[in-house]
Amino acid sequence: MVNYIIFILVVAGVYALLAQSLTLSWGLAGLVNLGLVGFFAIGAYASAMTTKWGGWPIPLGLLAATVLGLFTGFIVTISTLRLRDDYLAIVTLGFAEVVRLVASNEIWLTGGTDGIAGVPSIVPRAWGQGYHVTMLAIVSVLAIATCALVRHLAASPWGRALRAVREDQVVAAVAGKPVIRLKAQAFSIAAAIAALAGAIYGHYTSYVAPEIYQPLITIYVFLAVTAGGVGRPAGAFLGAYLLIGFLELTRFMAEIVPGVSPVQAAATREILVGLALILLLRLKPNGIMPERNQKAPPSTA
Amino acid sequence: MFSSIIQALLNGLVSGTILAVPAIGFTAIFAVLRYPNFAIGSLATIGAYAGWFANLRLGWPLEASFGLAFLGAGIATLAAEWLAVRPLEKSGALMMAICSLAVGIVLENMVRFAFGNEPRGFNVPLMRDIRFGDLRISPQQVENFAVALLLMALLWAALNLTRMGRAMRATADNADLARLKGVQPGTVAAITVMVGGGLAGIGGMLVALDTAADPLTGFRLILSVFAAAVLGGLGSIPGAVLGALIIGMVEELTVLLLAPNYRTAIGFAVILIVLTVRPSGLFGERAG
Amino acid sequence: MSLLINRRRFMAGAAAGTALMASPAILRAQAGPIRIGTLTPLTGSGGLYGPVMANVVKAVADEVNAAGGLLGRQVQIISEDDQTNAEAGVRAARKLIDVDKVNAILGTWASAVTTAVAPLCWENKVFLFTVSGADSITQLPHNGWLARTQPNTTLQGRKFAEFCLEVSGGKRAFFMMPQTPFTQSTFNNFKIAYDKVGGATELLIYDDKKPSLRTEVDQAMRYNADCIFVGGYLTDTTVLLRDLFRAGFKGKIVGPGYSINQKLVESVGQPEATEGAYGMLPSPQEGSNGWKKVADLTKQASPDPFSCQIYDHINLAIMAMAQARDASGQAIRDNVRAVSQGGGEKVDNAVDGLKAIAAGRKVDYDGASGPCDFTDLGDITDVKFRYEQVKAGKMALVRIA
Repeated sequence: MVNYIIFILVVAGVYALLAQSLTLSWGLAGLVNLGLVGFFAIGAYASAMTTKWGGWPIPLGLLAATVLGLFTGFIVTISTLRLRDDYLAIVTLGFAEVVRLVASNEIWLTGGTDGIAGVPSIVPRAWGQGYHVTMLAIVSVLAIATCALVRHLAASPWGRALRAVREDQVVAAVAGKPVIRLKAQAFSIAAAIAALAGAIYGHYTSYVAPEIYQPLITIYVFLAVTAGGVGRPAGAFLGAYLLIGFLELTRFMAEIVPGVSPVQAAATREILVGLALILLLRLKPNGIMPERNQKAPPSTA
Repeated sequence: MFSSIIQALLNGLVSGTILAVPAIGFTAIFAVLRYPNFAIGSLATIGAYAGWFANLRLGWPLEASFGLAFLGAGIATLAAEWLAVRPLEKSGALMMAICSLAVGIVLENMVRFAFGNEPRGFNVPLMRDIRFGDLRISPQQVENFAVALLLMALLWAALNLTRMGRAMRATADNADLARLKGVQPGTVAAITVMVGGGLAGIGGMLVALDTAADPLTGFRLILSVFAAAVLGGLGSIPGAVLGALIIGMVEELTVLLLAPNYRTAIGFAVILIVLTVRPSGLFGERAG
Repeated sequence: MSLLINRRRFMAGAAAGTALMASPAILRAQAGPIRIGTLTPLTGSGGLYGPVMANVVKAVADEVNAAGGLLGRQVQIISEDDQTNAEAGVRAARKLIDVDKVNAILGTWASAVTTAVAPLCWENKVFLFTVSGADSITQLPHNGWLARTQPNTTLQGRKFAEFCLEVSGGKRAFFMMPQTPFTQSTFNNFKIAYDKVGGATELLIYDDKKPSLRTEVDQAMRYNADCIFVGGYLTDTTVLLRDLFRAGFKGKIVGPGYSINQKLVESVGQPEATEGAYGMLPSPQEGSNGWKKVADLTKQASPDPFSCQIYDHINLAIMAMAQARDASGQAIRDNVRAVSQGGGEKVDNAVDGLKAIAAGRKVDYDGASGPCDFTDLGDITDVKFRYEQVKAGKMALVRIA
């Protein structure tokens, strides 16, 4: 049981990192990145390939992942920044699919659908429970540090400018804010965080393959951030742990229901996850920890 | 080579037309309610199952089954809209979009709970293709093509020739102005949701006729539907049709000239190129 | 809690070290049911196969329990969903291992899930049975903690090609398959066999999410193949066969039994579109009842190969524990080959096997998916194939060879 809980906490920590990425791009800059899992994949591959095949030390691999994430994020932004947010959402969704397709089909580069097994671990796996505890410490510290960083960024003049852009980019531009540059910076840093999360997760589970990086993961992170509070780093952090906790809890809830087949139990679990979010949105539309300064009312009408 | 390119374009025309039906549904909901409804995939799945239920369990002919596919998906969309999405109007379009993601998960798994994962085939005789020289066309796909065209014509007529249709278009263009002119936004929204969801349902059934209905029928479709709608310009019905046709043909040409396994990727490359030139798609309105 | 786990592990290790295994203290510590986990896809793209697999395992456990259980205890099956996704699969495996304390995980399907879950299993002394097809899986450093019942691609690719050559009577085959971890290597082995007889073959990797594959089929038609090998799963094979029928393809169609089967005939709908198609699945010797047993359990006239394989997993796991007189993952690892191969009384189900083992006889299991003899790496050594053909809308046995 203890090992299970430790493991779940590590996974939740990885999701907390992803949630910080989304808080920065979506929460602060208003850029809906439905391709989050694509950056997660890019980081995982960058670190796995450089450390396993290139023999790089792991810190360098993590750095490579982060830099590549930053770079890809930048490339994606320059080609999409003029788009409205709903267009951006769909284009980034396509981006993640393209990443998955390239990883599956360019066997010479990525190893194809076989993936890369035996990715080196950050501390020796032979430590057994010690391995998982150490990884828990590393991931938790990283998640907390990233959360602190995003909080710091949010409170800085840069973060305030970013929010001004989110609320109304025309006004922000008139006020002399460099709209495009701000968005590009936010999106790229967010992509770098997601890539770092991917690299850590790859080293932790020692396996990287295209089929891991499915849209489901992006959806889960959106649920986590929405539940915790959009635009509030601490909220997103909390949301990630609540999400993974709830996902695991549904496992045990579905077991209690009598007279259902395994497939019905699995369907029940996912229904519970969806319903929980719908209810949460209804009861706490701004999440458990709402953003501190109130948003302007939407200007859709 | 020339004839195989023509054949690929022909195939793309047929698959694009089928794709156009759910794409119209998606874009119509966007036009009036101003949020992308990500539950569209699951709604298509519900349509596929409703049609299958009518055709196989109730023994209805296909035409009537299309009706149930439309109704089933339309009612599901309306229920989800009222129960889950509408209450979030104040939180903004993105929250409604996220909520529709959750709705999609719930609906897909309700179908799975009720019917399991087995594919459910329709009771439709399969016909050999008709040949014209080097080219071939499937009579069934011509029928599907005709159904899709007929729907588009009906929709066009409804939007342009009826009072409600004009109200819908007015609401899509400018909700405040429409309200001043005495249009009831609530009714318009309800009808749009019903019709949009219903079209997604028919799209799901059209696809299932060619494959089979299973809980992931709609999920396999959505990337292409989104691509079509964005390419044409979100909220534009002619745009969705044109976008779907382009995506359909580009995908088939990819199979022929590039690599079949990159069909989806090339579709997105096209979108990116078009959006670089026209940030709101081919027929999109105001950017910003 | 962790102390308890460590103490139990220590005791299990100590017990294995001595010959005296049945000390009363250990028996008391391990009272309660013997738990075995299944980790099959219940949702996601593998969702078609996973539910039946989970049911087969439960049915076998019920039979064993009705016949008196295993080592005087009941067998309890815990079924988790891997969502056909490695991330979700790893979480599910963690729960099975740490919370349910299973001693074996059965039936991992997607190669990515198997590769991700395997290290957890060998680190926690849980035995892993898988049906995944990627050759790389048995190459993992699993140190004996993994066995795979799906034939590897060297064997499958060659057998597929030999059968295509035989039924078509020609030497041109078109090979259509979605991208999977075993696509390229299966094709490579397929091609070797065609090259050997001076034949020609070409690979087309298609996108299995598409509702129409007309242009792909046009490519196949232009190749003028006398035989098309369709290597996808049920959903996309349905699309492919419909489009091949429309295009008027006249040659032979051959595919694996997990897509060319009774369900395909039903989901394609039009009888002529599947008529004459061949399906191949790994099989035991003629006369073994395992296959018929799975047909009964699943109520399918021709059960899919994954159901057959997981049927073998559960039977082997149960008999290996009985052989060791110890309900642990270590016992399965050390004894699976003692009950699966090496001669002895032929059995094809665990209930018979348990009786024979209790009577002190050596057993040699021949299951539903083959003789189930494993190499040191965990691959099956050799297997017969069951060749079936759709005749008048029903799967008819051609031969077992």
